[in-house]
Amino acid sequence: MAETKGKPVAASQRPTGGDKAAVGKKQYFRRKKVCRFCVEKIDDINYKDVKMLHAFIGERGKIIPRRISGVCAPHQRRLGDAIKKARNIALLPFAAAL
Amino acid sequence: MRIYEELFIIRPEAAEEEVDQLVEQLSSVVTSASGTVDKVEKWGKRKLAYRVQKCREGHYVLLQFSAGPETVKELERRLRVTDAVIKFLTVRIDQTLRRLEKRRQQREKRARRRPAPAPAVPAPSVAQQMMAETAEKEE
Repeated sequence: MAETKGKPVAASQRPTGGDKAAVGKKQYFRRKKVCRFCVEKIDDINYKDVKMLHAFIGERGKIIPRRISGVCAPHQRRLGDAIKKARNIALLPFAAAL
Repeated sequence: MRIYEELFIIRPEAAEEEVDQLVEQLSSVVTSASGTVDKVEKWGKRKLAYRVQKCREGHYVLLQFSAGPETVKELERRLRVTDAVIKFLTVRIDQTLRRLEKRRQQREKRARRRPAPAPAVPAPSVAQQMMAETAEKEE
Protein backbone atom coordinates (compact mmCIF):
# COMPACT_ATOMS: atom_id res chain seq x y z
CA MET A 1 0.00 0.00 0.00
CA ALA A 2 2.66 2.46 1.02
CA GLU A 3 4.98 3.51 -1.67
CA THR A 4 8.33 2.90 -0.12
CA LYS A 5 10.66 3.07 -3.01
CA GLY A 6 14.28 3.21 -2.08
CA LYS A 7 15.14 3.55 1.57
CA PRO A 8 12.83 1.79 4.03
CA VAL A 9 11.84 4.84 6.00
CA ALA A 10 8.20 4.34 6.79
CA ALA A 11 8.42 1.14 8.78
CA SER A 12 10.87 2.46 11.32
CA GLN A 13 8.90 5.63 12.05
CA ARG A 14 5.90 6.25 14.22
CA PRO A 15 2.86 4.32 13.03
CA THR A 16 0.53 7.29 13.15
CA GLY A 17 0.94 10.54 11.33
CA GLY A 18 -0.48 12.51 8.52
CA ASP A 19 0.25 12.61 4.90
CA LYS A 20 3.80 13.82 5.13
CA ALA A 21 5.74 13.25 1.99
CA ALA A 22 9.44 13.67 2.42
CA VAL A 23 11.04 14.90 -0.74
CA GLY A 24 14.53 13.73 -1.45
CA LYS A 25 16.29 13.32 -4.75
CA LYS A 26 13.13 13.22 -6.85
CA GLN A 27 11.82 10.43 -4.67
CA TYR A 28 8.73 10.61 -2.50
CA PHE A 29 8.47 8.73 0.74
CA ARG A 30 4.95 8.59 1.92
CA ARG A 31 4.50 7.59 5.52
CA LYS A 32 1.96 4.84 5.79
CA LYS A 33 -1.24 6.08 7.36
CA VAL A 34 -2.72 3.88 10.04
CA CYS A 35 -6.18 4.00 11.50
CA ARG A 36 -6.05 5.69 14.88
CA PHE A 37 -8.85 3.57 16.29
CA CYS A 38 -7.11 0.34 15.33
CA VAL A 39 -3.78 1.43 16.77
CA GLU A 40 -5.18 2.75 20.05
CA LYS A 41 -7.70 -0.11 20.24
CA ILE A 42 -10.68 2.17 20.65
CA ASP A 43 -13.79 0.06 20.13
CA ASP A 44 -16.34 2.58 21.18
CA ILE A 45 -16.72 5.57 18.89
CA ASN A 46 -19.24 7.44 20.97
CA TYR A 47 -21.21 10.47 19.83
CA LYS A 48 -20.80 12.05 23.26
CA ASP A 49 -17.03 12.16 23.02
CA VAL A 50 -16.86 15.60 21.48
CA LYS A 51 -13.15 16.07 22.06
CA MET A 52 -12.30 12.97 20.08
CA LEU A 53 -14.77 13.69 17.28
CA HIS A 54 -13.40 17.20 16.90
CA ALA A 55 -10.18 15.73 15.56
CA PHE A 56 -12.11 14.28 12.62
CA ILE A 57 -14.00 17.32 11.41
CA GLY A 58 -12.50 20.17 9.46
CA GLU A 59 -12.73 23.82 10.37
CA ARG A 60 -15.95 24.13 8.40
CA GLY A 61 -17.43 21.26 10.35
CA LYS A 62 -17.18 18.73 7.56
CA ILE A 63 -16.22 15.13 8.17
CA ILE A 64 -12.63 14.57 7.09
CA PRO A 65 -12.43 11.88 4.37
CA ARG A 66 -10.54 8.78 5.27
CA ARG A 67 -8.22 9.24 2.35
CA ILE A 68 -6.80 12.11 4.39
CA SER A 69 -7.24 10.95 7.96
CA GLY A 70 -6.21 7.35 7.28
CA VAL A 71 -9.07 5.84 9.28
CA CYS A 72 -10.02 2.34 8.15
CA ALA A 73 -13.39 1.76 6.51
CA PRO A 74 -15.26 0.08 9.41
CA HIS A 75 -14.13 2.76 11.82
CA GLN A 76 -14.87 5.59 9.42
CA ARG A 77 -18.41 4.26 9.12
CA ARG A 78 -18.91 4.32 12.87
CA LEU A 79 -17.17 7.67 13.11
CA GLY A 80 -19.53 9.15 10.52
CA ASP A 81 -22.54 7.86 12.42
CA ALA A 82 -21.21 9.29 15.67
CA ILE A 83 -20.52 12.70 14.13
CA LYS A 84 -24.00 12.84 12.64
CA LYS A 85 -25.57 11.99 15.98
CA ALA A 86 -23.47 14.61 17.73
CA ARG A 87 -24.58 17.18 15.16
CA ASN A 88 -28.19 16.37 15.83
CA ILE A 89 -27.91 17.22 19.49
CA ALA A 90 -25.87 20.37 18.92
CA LEU A 91 -22.58 18.98 20.21
CA LEU A 92 -21.00 19.54 16.80
CA PRO A 93 -21.91 22.06 14.11
CA PHE A 94 -23.55 21.15 10.82
CA ALA A 95 -21.67 23.98 9.21
CA ALA A 96 -19.27 26.21 11.04
CA ALA A 97 -18.96 29.83 10.04
CA LEU A 98 -15.52 30.88 9.00
CA MET B 1 -36.63 -4.74 27.32
CA ARG B 2 -34.16 -2.54 25.54
CA ILE B 3 -31.59 -0.12 26.83
CA TYR B 4 -31.88 3.43 25.63
CA GLU B 5 -30.03 6.65 26.10
CA GLU B 6 -31.92 9.91 26.07
CA LEU B 7 -29.89 13.07 25.73
CA PHE B 8 -31.85 16.29 25.89
CA ILE B 9 -31.21 19.99 26.17
CA ILE B 10 -33.14 22.33 28.44
CA ARG B 11 -33.31 26.08 27.96
CA PRO B 12 -30.50 27.96 29.71
CA GLU B 13 -32.95 30.16 31.62
CA ALA B 14 -34.28 27.15 33.51
CA ALA B 15 -33.16 26.97 37.12
CA GLU B 16 -31.43 23.97 38.62
CA GLU B 17 -34.59 22.94 40.48
CA GLU B 18 -36.63 23.03 37.30
CA VAL B 19 -34.13 20.72 35.64
CA ASP B 20 -34.29 18.31 38.58
CA GLN B 21 -38.05 18.45 38.53
CA LEU B 22 -38.18 17.63 34.83
CA VAL B 23 -35.75 14.75 35.23
CA GLU B 24 -37.87 13.44 38.08
CA GLN B 25 -40.97 13.69 35.93
CA LEU B 26 -39.40 11.84 33.01
CA SER B 27 -38.00 9.16 35.29
CA SER B 28 -41.47 8.51 36.61
CA VAL B 29 -42.69 8.00 33.04
CA VAL B 30 -40.13 5.24 32.63
CA THR B 31 -40.69 3.62 36.03
CA SER B 32 -44.48 3.70 35.75
CA ALA B 33 -44.17 1.68 32.53
CA SER B 34 -42.20 -0.98 34.45
CA GLY B 35 -38.88 0.27 33.13
CA THR B 36 -35.82 1.17 35.14
CA VAL B 37 -33.72 4.31 35.12
CA ASP B 38 -30.10 3.20 35.21
CA LYS B 39 -28.23 6.46 35.07
CA VAL B 40 -28.88 10.19 35.21
CA GLU B 41 -26.04 12.45 34.22
CA LYS B 42 -26.24 16.21 34.31
CA TRP B 43 -23.57 17.85 32.22
CA GLY B 44 -24.54 21.32 33.33
CA LYS B 45 -24.68 24.33 31.07
CA ARG B 46 -22.83 23.83 27.80
CA LYS B 47 -22.46 25.93 24.72
CA LEU B 48 -24.41 24.67 21.73
CA ALA B 49 -22.66 24.18 18.42
CA TYR B 50 -25.39 26.18 16.69
CA ARG B 51 -28.43 28.20 17.64
CA VAL B 52 -31.49 26.23 18.64
CA GLN B 53 -34.68 28.22 19.16
CA LYS B 54 -32.56 31.31 19.65
CA CYS B 55 -30.57 29.69 22.46
CA ARG B 56 -26.81 29.56 22.32
CA GLU B 57 -26.38 27.34 25.34
CA GLY B 58 -28.38 24.87 27.33
CA HIS B 59 -28.47 22.35 30.15
CA TYR B 60 -27.58 18.89 28.89
CA VAL B 61 -29.08 15.91 30.67
CA LEU B 62 -28.36 12.29 29.88
CA LEU B 63 -30.84 9.64 30.92
CA GLN B 64 -30.04 5.97 30.54
CA PHE B 65 -32.92 3.58 31.04
CA SER B 66 -34.21 0.20 30.02
CA ALA B 67 -37.77 -0.03 28.83
CA GLY B 68 -39.90 -1.12 25.93
CA PRO B 69 -40.39 0.80 22.70
CA GLU B 70 -43.82 2.14 23.73
CA THR B 71 -42.23 3.87 26.68
CA VAL B 72 -39.84 5.65 24.38
CA LYS B 73 -42.74 6.88 22.32
CA GLU B 74 -44.42 8.30 25.39
CA LEU B 75 -41.18 9.81 26.66
CA GLU B 76 -40.51 11.52 23.34
CA ARG B 77 -44.06 12.86 23.29
CA ARG B 78 -43.50 14.34 26.74
CA LEU B 79 -40.25 15.94 25.65
CA ARG B 80 -41.86 17.39 22.57
CA VAL B 81 -44.65 19.08 24.49
CA THR B 82 -42.39 20.42 27.21
CA ASP B 83 -41.46 23.95 26.26
CA ALA B 84 -38.28 24.00 28.32
CA VAL B 85 -36.78 21.17 26.26
CA ILE B 86 -35.27 22.51 23.07
CA LYS B 87 -33.73 19.34 21.65
CA PHE B 88 -33.57 15.66 22.39
CA LEU B 89 -31.99 12.53 20.98
CA THR B 90 -32.87 8.93 21.75
CA VAL B 91 -30.36 6.23 21.00
CA ARG B 92 -30.83 2.52 21.47
CA ILE B 93 -27.62 1.22 22.97
CA ASP B 94 -28.17 -2.39 24.03
CA GLN B 95 -26.89 -3.74 20.73
CA THR B 96 -23.87 -1.46 20.86
CA LEU B 97 -23.12 -2.47 24.43
CA ARG B 98 -23.34 -6.13 23.49
CA ARG B 99 -20.98 -5.60 20.57
CA LEU B 100 -18.48 -3.76 22.75
CA GLU B 101 -18.63 -6.48 25.39
CA LYS B 102 -17.93 -9.10 22.76
CA ARG B 103 -14.99 -7.13 21.44
CA ARG B 104 -13.61 -6.72 24.93
CA GLN B 105 -13.81 -10.44 25.59
CA GLN B 106 -12.10 -11.18 22.31
CA ARG B 107 -9.32 -8.83 23.27
CA GLU B 108 -8.89 -10.49 26.63
CA LYS B 109 -8.85 -13.93 25.11
CA ARG B 110 -6.20 -12.91 22.66
CA ALA B 111 -4.15 -11.25 25.38
CA ARG B 112 -4.25 -14.40 27.49
CA ARG B 113 -3.18 -16.57 24.61
CA ARG B 114 -0.28 -14.29 23.81
CA PRO B 115 0.73 -12.66 27.08
CA ALA B 116 3.08 -10.16 25.63
CA PRO B 117 3.08 -6.42 25.13
CA ALA B 118 2.09 -3.70 27.51
CA PRO B 119 -1.64 -3.55 28.25
CA ALA B 120 -3.50 -0.74 26.57
CA VAL B 121 -3.94 2.31 28.71
CA PRO B 122 -7.59 2.46 29.76
CA ALA B 123 -9.06 5.56 28.24
CA PRO B 124 -11.09 7.75 30.59
CA SER B 125 -14.80 7.31 30.09
CA VAL B 126 -16.73 9.85 28.09
CA ALA B 127 -18.55 11.10 31.13
CA GLN B 128 -15.34 11.80 32.97
CA GLN B 129 -13.97 13.70 30.04
CA MET B 130 -17.10 15.79 29.74
CA MET B 131 -17.00 16.57 33.43
CA ALA B 132 -13.40 17.66 33.17
CA GLU B 133 -14.23 19.77 30.17
CA THR B 134 -17.05 21.62 31.85
CA ALA B 135 -14.93 22.07 34.95
CA GLU B 136 -12.23 23.68 32.84
CA LYS B 137 -14.73 26.06 31.33
CA GLU B 138 -16.07 27.11 34.66
CA GLU B 139 -12.67 28.02 35.99
